[in-house]
Amino acid sequence: MQRTEKVLQLRGLQGRSVRIVREHYLRPDVPCRSALCQAACPRDGKLLSDDVTHYVVPDWKIVQDYLEILEFPELKGIIFMQTACQAVQHQRGRRQYNKLRNLVKDARHDCILFANEFQQYCYLPRERGESMEKWQTRSIYNAAVWYYNHCLGQLPVVMVTEDEDAIREYGGETEGVFVISFKNYLDNFWPDLKAVHELYDSIRQSRRERECESQENKGKEYPEHLPMEVLEAGIKSGRYIQGVLNVNKHRAQMEAFVRLQGASGKETDLQSDILIHGTKARNRAIHGDVVAVELLPQHEWKGRTASLCENDTEEKAPGDTSSEPMPTGRVVGIIQKNWRDYVVTFPSKEESQSQGKNAQKILVTPWDYRIPKIRISTQQAEALQDCRVIVRIDSWESTSVYPNGHFVRVLGRIGDLEGETAVILVENSISVAPFSEAQMCEMPSSTSENPWKVNPEEELKRIDLRNTHLIFSIDPKGCEDVDDALSIRTLANGNLELGVHIADVTHFVAVNSYTDIEARARATTYYLADRRYDMLPSILSADLCSLLSRVERYAVSVMWELDKNSYEILRVWYNRTIIQSSYKLVYEVAQGLLDGDLSVVDDILELKELDERTRQQKLEELVWAIGKLTDVARRVRAKRDRCGALELEGVEIRVQLDDKKNIHDLIPKQPLEVHETVAECMILANHWVAKMIWENFPHHALLRQHPPPRQEFFSELRECASAKGFSIDTRSNKALADSLSKADDPLDPTVNKLLRSMATQAMSNALYFSTGSCPEEEFHHYGLALDKYTHFTSPIRRYADIVVHRLLMAATLKDTKVDVTVNLFSNKALEELCRHINNRNRAAQHAQKQSTELFQCMYFKDKVSETDERCTADGVVYSIRTNGVLVFVPRYGIKGAAYLKNKEGLVISCQSDGSCVWKPGSLQRFQNRITSTTVAGESVTLSLFDHITVKVCVQSSRCHPDTIKLEIISNIPYKNTATELYQKNIHIMKADLVKEVTRSAEEAQLAQEKNRVEVIQEEYQEYCQTKGVSLYQLLEEIRDLALLDVSTGN
Amino acid sequence: MAGLELLSDEGYRVDGRRAGELRKVRARMGVFAQADGSAYIEQGNTKALAVVYGPHEMRGSRSKALHDRALVNCQYSMATFSTGERKRRPHGDRKSSEMTLHLKQTFEAAILTQLYPRSQIDIYVQILQADGGNYCACVNAATLATIDAGIPMRDYVCASSAGFIEDTPLADLNYVEEAAGGPQVALALLPKSDQIALLEMNSRLHEDHLEQVIEAASKACKDVYAVLDQVVRDHVHEVTTLLGE
Repeated sequence: MQRTEKVLQLRGLQGRSVRIVREHYLRPDVPCRSALCQAACPRDGKLLSDDVTHYVVPDWKIVQDYLEILEFPELKGIIFMQTACQAVQHQRGRRQYNKLRNLVKDARHDCILFANEFQQYCYLPRERGESMEKWQTRSIYNAAVWYYNHCLGQLPVVMVTEDEDAIREYGGETEGVFVISFKNYLDNFWPDLKAVHELYDSIRQSRRERECESQENKGKEYPEHLPMEVLEAGIKSGRYIQGVLNVNKHRAQMEAFVRLQGASGKETDLQSDILIHGTKARNRAIHGDVVAVELLPQHEWKGRTASLCENDTEEKAPGDTSSEPMPTGRVVGIIQKNWRDYVVTFPSKEESQSQGKNAQKILVTPWDYRIPKIRISTQQAEALQDCRVIVRIDSWESTSVYPNGHFVRVLGRIGDLEGETAVILVENSISVAPFSEAQMCEMPSSTSENPWKVNPEEELKRIDLRNTHLIFSIDPKGCEDVDDALSIRTLANGNLELGVHIADVTHFVAVNSYTDIEARARATTYYLADRRYDMLPSILSADLCSLLSRVERYAVSVMWELDKNSYEILRVWYNRTIIQSSYKLVYEVAQGLLDGDLSVVDDILELKELDERTRQQKLEELVWAIGKLTDVARRVRAKRDRCGALELEGVEIRVQLDDKKNIHDLIPKQPLEVHETVAECMILANHWVAKMIWENFPHHALLRQHPPPRQEFFSELRECASAKGFSIDTRSNKALADSLSKADDPLDPTVNKLLRSMATQAMSNALYFSTGSCPEEEFHHYGLALDKYTHFTSPIRRYADIVVHRLLMAATLKDTKVDVTVNLFSNKALEELCRHINNRNRAAQHAQKQSTELFQCMYFKDKVSETDERCTADGVVYSIRTNGVLVFVPRYGIKGAAYLKNKEGLVISCQSDGSCVWKPGSLQRFQNRITSTTVAGESVTLSLFDHITVKVCVQSSRCHPDTIKLEIISNIPYKNTATELYQKNIHIMKADLVKEVTRSAEEAQLAQEKNRVEVIQEEYQEYCQTKGVSLYQLLEEIRDLALLDVSTGN
Repeated sequence: MAGLELLSDEGYRVDGRRAGELRKVRARMGVFAQADGSAYIEQGNTKALAVVYGPHEMRGSRSKALHDRALVNCQYSMATFSTGERKRRPHGDRKSSEMTLHLKQTFEAAILTQLYPRSQIDIYVQILQADGGNYCACVNAATLATIDAGIPMRDYVCASSAGFIEDTPLADLNYVEEAAGGPQVALALLPKSDQIALLEMNSRLHEDHLEQVIEAASKACKDVYAVLDQVVRDHVHEVTTLLGE
C-alpha cells in the first residue's frame, strides 16, 4: 500500500474563519474506467464505451449550470471529474448533486466519474493566492490531459468550458486535448440534436436575465431566507418547526399548510398542521418543499376558510374566514427544494399584449394550481401559444414576485387528448419511453414458428407439477397478463393440498439487468383511463410470464397442506416449479360452474374439442376444484373476519382486496363469490410469503403495512352518520366494520355507500417498507387484520413483487451452501427503494384519477347542458359548506361542489314544483343542513343525504385542467328512466344476476374489439374511486369521442 | 445541510483513502534521554508522545502498593494547542480521566505486572495534535515507549478505530469521520494471540454489523502492528550499531 501525503489548508467559514487542516492521500491506482484503457486499471463496474468519437470533459461551471443537457442520453463518453462534482455539491446543494450521482450510476448513460483529485499525477495543489475557480479549471484541464495520455491518445478529449480565459490559455497547449466553449461543442459535435440546442438557449437566456436582475436589485418583495446554520439550530431548539409545505389546491393564493415532520411536533405539542396565510408569509416556498416555519403570536392566528370558492377569485374578504383560529406561521427558510418539471401554458395573445414592453419575459401559468406563475424568457412565445410546455424553475430571488424559469420542451396542443395525457404523465413524473434495444436484447425470443421452450437444465432444478396437479387461472375477461393460477387436490392421506402459482418473473429478469433497472425505475404498470404503460416488455408480461392455459411455464408456487376437516394449515412449502395451466377461466364462467349452471360450459375453450365423456369427467373435476376452493376460502376469510378485517365493500372501496385485480365487472355492486375466493387465496399466499421472508431476513425484508388511521379523521364520518341517526364506532377495525354494516338505510342505499367511501378516505394509505426500518408492532395491516403482509402475487405489474420473489427464493435456498444474500438489498437500499415504489404508486393513482377526470370533462364538454338529458342527474348531498354543498352523483360517480350563492350574491330559492331560481337573500349554515332564505321570506333547506337534481357542466380553463361543475336545478330527487333502471340495479335479485352477466359480457367484448379501456374498472376498485353502474356506458361514449378527436386533430 | 459525503460511490473517503486503509503511520522510539522509555507517533495528523518511568518503588502513599504485581499508573493529557481552538485544561477533565482509565486497563492487561510486585510503572501520554483516533495513537505510542523502557509485555498492544458508514466498515477514522457521529469502535488488540485488551463503542450499531466492524478494526490493528514492529526493529538496529560492532 503505497501512498503519499498532502496537507490541505482550507478556510472554513463558521462565524469566523477557522483554519482546517485535512489530510489528502494520493494514489497511482485510480481506475480510469475506460474500455480503451491498456494499462492494468481494474475494470469492474461501469465502463466508458469505446465506440465514441471523442471523450468530453465538462468544466465545473458546465456541470453546475447545464447538467440537464448532459443528462441527454444521446451525449456519450462524458467524464465527470471529481473536482467538478465537488463544486456541484458545495454550490448547488444535495439535490443537484444526487441528480449527478444517479446519472453516473445509471447504466443507460454513457458517463463516468473520475476521481482525479485522488490520482497521484492528476492532483494539483492550489497555489497561494489562486482563486478557487481558477484552480478548479486548472485541475480539470490537467486531469483531461492525463486521461488523454493514459488512453495513449486513442481518442481525442474535449474539455468544454464557459471560461474564455481557459480557452485562450489551454486551447492549443496539448495536442489531442481540445478546450472549447459549450456552445461551440454542441454546434460542432451535435448539430442534429435540436432539443439540446433549444434547452441550451433557454438556460442561457434565463441565466443572463438573472444576472441583469441581480444588478438592478430593486426593492425586495420577500424577506431573505435565514442561513442554514441558523435554521438547524432553530429547529433543534424548537424555535422553528420543520415540515413539508402543502398548498391548498382551491385557494392556492392564500392558504398553505405545513405538515410537521420528524421530532419537532412532539415538543411543541402542536396537533394540527400550521397554516401559512398569504404568499408573503409563504416566502417563495413552493408546494412540496421542506421548510422551516416560525409560529406567529397567538393573536395573529387565522382560521381556515370553510366556504367553497373558485380558483380564479383573487382574494377573499377577510370576513369569510370563519372557522376557529389555528396555529399560523411564516416561512423563514427552505431546507430542501423539491422543484420538478412543471407543465405550463403561455398566456393567450390578448393577455400577452397587455404585459407590454417586456415581450421577452413572459409569465406562464402552471397546470397545477398549487404552483405560482413562472417568469420565463423566450422568443418563441407566439409559436407556443396553444401548447402545453414543460419549464423548470431556476431561482426565486427575494426581489422578484415570481420565480424565474426556462423553457424545456413542448408536450402538445391544449385540449388535444395526446397532449393532455402527456401533461398528466409529466405532472406525475412518469416517464414511459418505449423499451430500449438493449433491454429487448435481454429478452428470450418467442415467435409463433419458434416458440419458447422449457430449458432441460432448468427442468431438473424445478419441481414438475405439469402432470400431477390440475391448475387453472381465473381472471377478468380479456386479461393478457395472467400472474397467478390456483390448484387444489386431495392427498393420499385425505388432507387437501392448496396451491397458488405465481409467474416466475425473476427467472427472466436478472438482478441489475437493463430490464430490471427499467422496471425498478417504473416500479409499477401505469393504468390510465384509455391506455396502460407496462412495467415489463410485453414479451414477458403478455407471453412468457403469463400463465396461459396449455403451455408450459415457470412458476413460483406456494403450497399448503390443509387438514381434511378443519382446513387448518398443517404444512407449507415454497418452490420454483414448472406448471401447465389447464384452464384459463373467466370470473363469470367460474361463478357459473360454482352455482351449478352448466350453460357457461360452452365458454370454456379448453373443453370444446373433447368428446362428450372425457368432457364430462374433466368438467366434474373442475367443478369439484372450484367448489372446494371456495369452501376453503370462506373458512380462511371467516377466520380473518374474526380478527377484524375491514369489509369496506360497496362499489368503490374494498380496500382489503387491493392486491387482486379481480373485481373487474360491470356490476361491481354484486361482486361474485369467485372474486373473493381468488382474492382470499392471494391474500393467504401474500401473508405466508411475508412471514417466510420476515423470518429469514428480519432486517431487510420488504413487507406492506397499513397503519391504523388517525381518529380525528373520522370526525366527519361520525357527524355525517349521526345526521342519519347511525353511530359509527371507530375505535378498532372490527368495531368500524361492524358499525358500518349496521349503518344501512333500507330506503337509500347510497347512504351506506357514501359512509363507506368516507371511511376509506379517512384511512391512511398502505405502504411498502423494509422490516429493518421500523419496530415489529408497526408491521400490522389494518385493513386486512394481518400481522404481516406483503405483495407477492403480481410480479408482472409491480416491482415490489419482484423484490419479494427474490427474497423468497433466497430464503428457500438459505439452507444450501450458496451465498444467497448477494443479490438482495440491504436495509438502507431497501428503504430507499420502498420510498421510491410508494411514490411511484401514488403517482400512478394520481395519474389515473386525473386521466379519468380528463375523460369525464371531455365527455360533458360538448353536451349542451340545457338540452341534453344526460347532463341532468340525481345527486346526494354529503357535506355542507358555508356557501354551498358537496354533492355526489351516483350515476357518473362524480363528486363536486354546488353553490347556493352565486357570484352576484344571489341565493337559491325553490319554486313549488322544486325547480330553482336565483334570488337575493342570505344563507345560514347549521351542523348538518344549510338554509337559504330569500328576502321575500321563502326558504330552502338542504340536509345531509338529501337527494337533489343537479346539472353537470364543465368549467373549462385555459391553463388548468377542466373541472366538472354541478348546478342545483331542483331540490327534489331526479327521476327518469335511467334512474329507475339504476335503482333497480341495486336491488337486483340473485336470479337476474346471470342474465346481467351475459349482457355485460357482450358489451365487454365490444370494448375489447377496439382494444381499449377495460382494466381500469378493476383499478377503480383498487384505488378506491367512486364509480356508478353506468360507468361502462360513460366510458364507451368517451371512447368514441376520443377517437373522433384524434382523427380530427391529425 | 448538505453534509459531507463520507464515502463516495467510487469507494473513496474524504481524504482519498479506501475503506480499509490506514492513515500514514510514522513513529520514533527513544525521543527523550532522561525517561526510562519514550516514543513519538504520528497517525496522519494525530500526533502523540508517550513517556514511561519504571518499574520503580511506590511513590506517594505506600498503601496503594499491590503485593503480587506492579501498579500501572497512567496519565492522559492533550496539549492546549492540539485542537483547532486552544484548550483550557490539558488534563483532569472528564474525557481525559476516562481516557486515563482506559489506558490503564489496556496496559494492565498487556504488561507482565506480576514480575514486579510492590512496584509502580508510570505511563504518561500527551496528544500534541488531535485529528481523530486519539486513544489509538496513545496506545500505540505507549506500547513503543514501554518496549523502549524494556518492560516485558505479553505482546505489542496495537489499537485502531473503526466506524460504520453506508453499510461499509471504515478503518482508522479521522476527525471529520468521527465528528459525523456515526457508530465508532475503538479496539486494542494483542495481535499475535488475537486477544482483545480493550473494546469500546459509541453510538448505536446494529448487532448484525458488529462482527464486520470488529473484523475491520482488528485487521487495522494488525496493520499497525506490522508498522510498529518495523519501527522497533529499526530502532534496535540503530542502537546496536551505535553501541559498536
